[in-house]
Amino acid sequence: MSEQIDDAALVERFPYAQIDHDTKHLYRGWLEKRLLINRCDECLRFHHPPKPVCPSCWSSSLTPTQVSGRGVVHLAMHLHQGAPAPDVDYSKSPHPVVAVELEEQEALRFSTTVIDCPLEDVKIGLAVELDWIDRFGAPFPVFRPRRDA
Amino acid sequence: MISRNPIRDEIAIIGVGSTGFSRDAGERSSKSLACEASIAAIQDAGLEKGDIDGIVGPMEPGGAIPHQMASALGISEVTHQSSPMPVALFGLIDAMDAIFSGACDTVLLYYSYQRLPWNSRSAAKDPFRRHFQMGVIPVPEAPDPAAAYTQWASRYIHDYGATREDFGRVALNMRANALRNPLAVMKTPLTMEGYLQARMIRDPLCMLDMDVPVDGADAFVLTTTERAREITRNPVVIHATSLGVVDKNDEDQLPDLSRHGQHVVVDALRAKSDLWIEDCDVFFPYDGFSIITLGWIENFGWCKPGEAGRFMAEHWDEKAGSVLIDGRVPMNPHGGSLSEGATRGSGHLREAVTQLRGDAGKRQVANARTAIIGCGGFFFNSQGAILRRL
Ligand SMILES: [Zn+2]
Repeated sequence: MSEQIDDAALVERFPYAQIDHDTKHLYRGWLEKRLLINRCDECLRFHHPPKPVCPSCWSSSLTPTQVSGRGVVHLAMHLHQGAPAPDVDYSKSPHPVVAVELEEQEALRFSTTVIDCPLEDVKIGLAVELDWIDRFGAPFPVFRPRRDA
Repeated sequence: MISRNPIRDEIAIIGVGSTGFSRDAGERSSKSLACEASIAAIQDAGLEKGDIDGIVGPMEPGGAIPHQMASALGISEVTHQSSPMPVALFGLIDAMDAIFSGACDTVLLYYSYQRLPWNSRSAAKDPFRRHFQMGVIPVPEAPDPAAAYTQWASRYIHDYGATREDFGRVALNMRANALRNPLAVMKTPLTMEGYLQARMIRDPLCMLDMDVPVDGADAFVLTTTERAREITRNPVVIHATSLGVVDKNDEDQLPDLSRHGQHVVVDALRAKSDLWIEDCDVFFPYDGFSIITLGWIENFGWCKPGEAGRFMAEHWDEKAGSVLIDGRVPMNPHGGSLSEGATRGSGHLREAVTQLRGDAGKRQVANARTAIIGCGGFFFNSQGAILRRL
């Protein structure tokens, strides 16, 4: 576990994220390369993006819980143009963006890109696992094809 | 599902005005466009500025705020004003509710759009648009409603085996209709070959699946139906409206395409309305993205889920180059957001009123009495309205 940075430093590390008291745990997890998804301590349901209470049972006892990072691509598009990022060059290849259904719960999804995969294989049904790249000097969660699949 | 509808037919639209839409309205502010359309709508209603006591105008970057419109137009006393979220029926519903509740008698409802630095290269060069902000800096993967429509288009294709031609028919319909509408920005014909060759933006959706950024404004005047009967011989009344949202509405968290905001809208309208699709003379499925149109066609029950492409093909009028359901009912005869311009639905509302008044000229639907509008998309802005001629 690395030392927790304060809120001001957290916001500076993720200039592209809308961080508040409900979502700060998610991004603190990224700094440790851990994908933390809110889980309700009462009914044990996950939800994402982070909410202030459990949408299922209204408990405010929520624990950002590390997930396995395994899942299946549920939605997929290939951006031919889009917002800039240092690791993305649209002129070389379209940039894939996916919503991955996490294995922990039905319809629990996390959206990001896929690396180390031919573009034509980035499509619905692809089994993936979590990995991390550097984005603006901070860890950024991505998926790659599952090595054991 | 709520069926109570005490406002049924009680509020009328008695004036419309529009600047028309272009890729560049020249050296004019968004406020200037809003004023032009508003003056036209008030004059069209046969009213004067002193008759307006409510002003409603959705929030748009760089757009005019209602109290600024009061000051620009010299509207001396206003008892209701609001700036709802964008897409058109938030404003319509707020305006009609304000009149029905007694907050005011007569509302000026305006919508003004300008190309934005993040969706138009020419706008990005305009020094007066530089201060428009999008919030935090975006990253390619940011959950963005616009991108999310493409994501769900991928699911639609996966689940139903839909083809690019199914999406292309939406674009072709809008373009052919726009050519009959002098207010529309797009002036050149489109073929399926042209659609299939268009630049990919977010595969599977191309440039022609996405609405076209424009400068321009629409405006409306609403009052009670009782008062409307004294002012005009052909008031168009609002028969039923609804908004719709479900709990899992974060863009990537919709459980699936079978239950989202559009379904709530359709169920509520159906429960509130005496009129349904068999009574519809002109149909307005929103088309900010082509996938949204496919959703409205299916969710209103014109066909089954996944069949909108086939439905359009079966109801295609070769001569018109566009959809005519059962040889009779056109779909967005003004050209929609894809080809009239990205009006976030005010164009759909304006054309519905124009058709029901019988003022649509060459594209007039014979004896149009009932219009159904499905506006907005899947996540947080689904909405619908049924308008009719008295
Ligand atoms: Zn719970």
